[in-house]
Amino acid sequence: MKVKVISRSTDEFTRERSQDLQRVFRNFDPSIRTQEKATEYVRALNAAKLEKIFARPFIGAMDGHIDAVSCMAKNPNHLKGIFSGSMDGDIRLWDIATRRTVCKFPGHQGAVKGLAASTDGRILVSCGTDSIVRLWNVPSSSTMESNDSSEKSVQPLEEYVWKNAFWAVDHQWDGDRFATAGAGVQIWNHNKSAPEKTFEWGTDTVISVRFNPGEPNILATTASDRSIVLYDLRMSSEITKLIMRTRNNSIAWNPMEPINFTAANEDCNCYSYDARKLNEAKCVHKDHVSAVMDIDYSPTGREFVTGSYDRTVRIFPYNGGHSREIYHTKRMQRVFCVKFSCDATYVISGSDDTNLRLWKAKASEQLGVLLPREQKRHDYNEAVKNRYKHLPEVKRIVRHRHLPKPIFKAAALRRTMIEAERRKEERRKVHSAPGSITTKPLRKRRIIKVEE
Amino acid sequence: MADTKRKSGDNHSNRKKGKKQKTSSTQRDTNRKRRGPRLPSQLRKQLDRLNPGGGGDGSSSGSDVDERIESDEGEVYVGNDVYEYEEGVPEEESQKNRRFDRVENLEYEMPDEFEDENLSSDDDNEGDNAKGVSSGDEVEEDDDGKHSRMLQGITGMPGEAFEGKKKKSNTTLVTEAYAESEYNPTSDVLDGHGRISVEDLLDPLRNKSGYSKLKKRVHQMERKSNHTQAPLHKAERERLERKAAYEQSNKDSVKWVPLIKRNREAGTLIFDNDVELGFSTVGAIASEFEPRTEFEKKIASLVHDDKVMDAHQKDGSRLLELNQVSAEDERDRQNRIAKLRSLLFRHEMKSKHIKKIKSKTFHRLLKKDRLKAASSEYEIDPEAVKELARKHEYERAKERMTLRHKTNSMWAKRIKERGLNAQDEGTRAAIAEQQHIHARLTRKMNSMKDTSSSEESSDEDESDEDSPGEQDRTSRLLDEAKQKTLKVLNEEDEVPNSGLLSLPFMVRGMKKRNEVAAEEAKLALEDYESLSKQLEGSSRGESPKVGPSSGRMVFNAAGKQQAPRSSKTKSDDRTKADGLYDASDSENDLQTEDNNEDGDIVRNDSQQDINIDPSLLHEVLNGHQDGLFKSFDDIVKDPGPKTTHEVSIFASGTWKKVKTGNDQVKGGNNDASKKKSPVAVEPVSEKQDLQETGKEFSEDSDSESEGQMVDGILFSGGPKASSYELPSQAELIHQAFAADNVEDNFEKHKQEILNEENPEPEKPVLLPGWGQWTNVQQKKGLPSWMVKEHDAAKKKREEALKKRKDAQLKHVIISEKLDKRAEKLYTRTLPFPYSSKEVFEQSIRMPIGPEFNPATVVGALNRPEV
Repeated sequence: MKVKVISRSTDEFTRERSQDLQRVFRNFDPSIRTQEKATEYVRALNAAKLEKIFARPFIGAMDGHIDAVSCMAKNPNHLKGIFSGSMDGDIRLWDIATRRTVCKFPGHQGAVKGLAASTDGRILVSCGTDSIVRLWNVPSSSTMESNDSSEKSVQPLEEYVWKNAFWAVDHQWDGDRFATAGAGVQIWNHNKSAPEKTFEWGTDTVISVRFNPGEPNILATTASDRSIVLYDLRMSSEITKLIMRTRNNSIAWNPMEPINFTAANEDCNCYSYDARKLNEAKCVHKDHVSAVMDIDYSPTGREFVTGSYDRTVRIFPYNGGHSREIYHTKRMQRVFCVKFSCDATYVISGSDDTNLRLWKAKASEQLGVLLPREQKRHDYNEAVKNRYKHLPEVKRIVRHRHLPKPIFKAAALRRTMIEAERRKEERRKVHSAPGSITTKPLRKRRIIKVEE
Repeated sequence: MADTKRKSGDNHSNRKKGKKQKTSSTQRDTNRKRRGPRLPSQLRKQLDRLNPGGGGDGSSSGSDVDERIESDEGEVYVGNDVYEYEEGVPEEESQKNRRFDRVENLEYEMPDEFEDENLSSDDDNEGDNAKGVSSGDEVEEDDDGKHSRMLQGITGMPGEAFEGKKKKSNTTLVTEAYAESEYNPTSDVLDGHGRISVEDLLDPLRNKSGYSKLKKRVHQMERKSNHTQAPLHKAERERLERKAAYEQSNKDSVKWVPLIKRNREAGTLIFDNDVELGFSTVGAIASEFEPRTEFEKKIASLVHDDKVMDAHQKDGSRLLELNQVSAEDERDRQNRIAKLRSLLFRHEMKSKHIKKIKSKTFHRLLKKDRLKAASSEYEIDPEAVKELARKHEYERAKERMTLRHKTNSMWAKRIKERGLNAQDEGTRAAIAEQQHIHARLTRKMNSMKDTSSSEESSDEDESDEDSPGEQDRTSRLLDEAKQKTLKVLNEEDEVPNSGLLSLPFMVRGMKKRNEVAAEEAKLALEDYESLSKQLEGSSRGESPKVGPSSGRMVFNAAGKQQAPRSSKTKSDDRTKADGLYDASDSENDLQTEDNNEDGDIVRNDSQQDINIDPSLLHEVLNGHQDGLFKSFDDIVKDPGPKTTHEVSIFASGTWKKVKTGNDQVKGGNNDASKKKSPVAVEPVSEKQDLQETGKEFSEDSDSESEGQMVDGILFSGGPKASSYELPSQAELIHQAFAADNVEDNFEKHKQEILNEENPEPEKPVLLPGWGQWTNVQQKKGLPSWMVKEHDAAKKKREEALKKRKDAQLKHVIISEKLDKRAEKLYTRTLPFPYSSKEVFEQSIRMPIGPEFNPATVVGALNRPEV
């Protein structure tokens, strides 16, 4: 005879503190829980709805410039500082936390076209249409905080005059070189008044330049001859050139994948390329309805943000064809520059209306310090939503966005046009000799050629 | 590469001169090659000195103009012309010619690139010039003409490249105004035909020592020297460079691929894993060390003493000086060490000596001292106290196990035999000590046990409390049980002489029962004995103490109430015991062991058994107070296995109600027995009923199955299958499934489904007075609109049926019903990353919520991507 006695040791069941949770035992046998899937589906639905309810992405605008914001740079060494340059030659350092100007860098005569900060966050490089590269000492964070009531202004550390106007500048990761783009590409050193090296391939203006954060010696430029050119400083030569049908306004390397970059194109799309295989885009990111002006990758490498001439900011997954998020306000005009913050939590956009705008990267994210239980809850909601995202109802709720009427209409028009083009092509194909007309996939269609 | 370009440049300059010129140009080239930048200036000067007028030395500076003109043909002629014979030339020439023919062809292949070539050749020129200058040959020569000749000689370019003298064609005869010297070069020299070969330069050295060696070396050099290709033009070159660079960078970037792959496949990217761990090497840690305690500071001050540091950094020789120790110090040190050593030695010797001492008293005293010291220590240290407590506990447990200090060791027994008084004082003290230890340890144990099981001790008799150890107790229990059973056996002889039990049939029944009980009691006794033997074996034949006679453990509760009971109740008691034994026997032997080991548990067990018994409920409902008599009746009626139940019921029932039961027994026995007799039968009958019904069920099922079997046989067998004809396959099948009309069934089923999905319109019902007057209704029947509506509905249904996908398919049902609620839970198409439906379904099969998963997994399941 076996006697079964309920035995519970007091050690396991006494709480150490009164706030501790009582220990609960559950039977996880799925056969006695037949409704769990349905339960989770409903939870997913609720999570999706809650996400919509709590979506408040806009945090605030940073007002101060008196002309359109043309460029921005984030400080790699200081999380809440961001530099912005405007078309009237004004450069400001903002404190994101307080959303105020901390410091001004006066000196440029024409528009500031490029800003870049060194990796240690001490030196800011600016250039513009006045053909001067200026190096600035960035005030340390402690001084910034001590007298935040008054705006300081800083004198430039160095001024290097060059022959032609500049369009862009970018700083090398972990080095003291920076590259400017204008009539050609110049590689500068902090300490030299003339460029170390100049690259010229073709005669057209280079409009953007970006160093590869993973491979500090590789940089990419886009030019107004619709080309994307890659350079390698180790070999001190151009590597390759890709010519597309429309020009690329900006380019960004994936910080986690040093071989991949994404180019923001005039034709409303962004194209992700593998630097080793340029004859075909890895992914085409469609959704904007006007030229994409700027692009910046999240430090996680999983997302990037784009600013467009259609007055919207969108966030794309690095491998997704469509955006997961669109930000717009009534007052935001053409967006000229966007940046992801260094902690991947915020997005900053600078636009034609002289303002910088601060957005959350995840529209419904709860900011501030979360309790572990809250964190768990959020994680669970996210996971459940992710699991059932393919089901029609969840999908509908998650995907739904309210759009400004002009963008909605433009998108519809664009869709119609694309559809019409497709139909036409199809018919042409049907009515011509088989094999005479081939449709190229979209990933290849916009590429003219790859030059060596 | 560069060379080819240069050559093509030459070609360009020479083109106008015709074909003849071409060969000469190539010759020149070879000469130039041969001379190259290696031309030593000293040789050259010598040469000039030797042939100032140019007389017959055709090859060196090209003295004779006419000859020069003729000598366009090549150096073969030149070689012949010289007054001094040359050996090595012809072979080399042949080689050269062969080699350079190829180059000529190449030149013709790309005539378009003139412009660029000129440009690039210019570059090359400069380069070569630089080379020439660097070799430092022509520093002294400042004349323009000489310079140009030099250039010519070195670069192999025609004069045109440097000055406008190209027009001095070979066909025109040019007379020189001045005698030829190094300041007045002849025209052909200017043209580049007055080539000086290495051989020429070597000639004067002929008779000198080491000439042959030099010659050999020159020869070797010529053989080995490769001509370089002319450079490609810039665009091409850059393209190639870029291509190479691209390939290189691609090759470099391969290293990222596995990393990227891993990142992409990772469920979660964690970004804080490269936390700065600080210093990894000992050196780094040591360098960051800062003295904090005084000792450390002292050491640091010594170590970081300026003098020491300085000495250390220089060469360390001064360290020795710093390290000097005075003789006194050294002596002191030695003395100290010697002292310590001697102390150590003495201590060793002492301990050895102590070890050798055999006196036990001494050792005991020693031990006592040690303990005392330890105890004083314990008072201070809580850790030590804990340790001590543990040690004591262990000792206690050991004592309990071994009973070492009980007076049953050989030594103690012998002393006992001889008598304590005969012993000396020490032995007596030792015995007393031992007993004291034993008492202490066991006392401690008893107190512990009391706290642990209070209810047990309340049940126990005073004899229990006396028992020293567990084994003692169990053995005593066994003894008690034995005694009890023996008593019961003896009591059997007492036959009740009055009342119901004195009736003859009762007596007979009792006897029978008693016999059975006696047998069982004997069995139990045997069991007890074997068990006690075992126990004794373990406790080294400890003599069991027999406690005062009292109720057996099992019947303690009843035993206490034994005093007012009559002999009848005693017999009840016995029957109870029997019942219990029966029950235990029927279950298993193990339980008897349990029985013996712990009475309480046995009791509980028996109670549980009783509770399980289904008939008990019935009995309880009928009233507990009657239990006694029921049991008697049962005993009387059938003493078989059933009695066990009843008795046990009785036992349980009477635990609390025994007194009242007894009262009633004393009161009206007969009435009660009469009353109860039918009641007692009831459970049995019920049981039987149940069994019967069970049987019926089984029979029914049996019969059914049989029927089915029969059917099956009918289906499968069939009358025709057994006939001799060989039917066709189709027929066979048809026959085989003749009875189970599958098709009909299917049709019916399909019809049902169709009706369900497209329900038939209801027939119009005539409600009297509804829509029309009743009389009109009676006359006209249904109103026309109703009929019409019905017809329309019918038609609609038919159409719907026709439209169905399975309308034409006889053997198929295609359900067109869509569950709108379920639709929400399905995707229209397979979502992108999944390749098949199964995979997708698998991916969402298991829930991830905290309610459905253990807490350890939930975190992993819900972890976000970044």
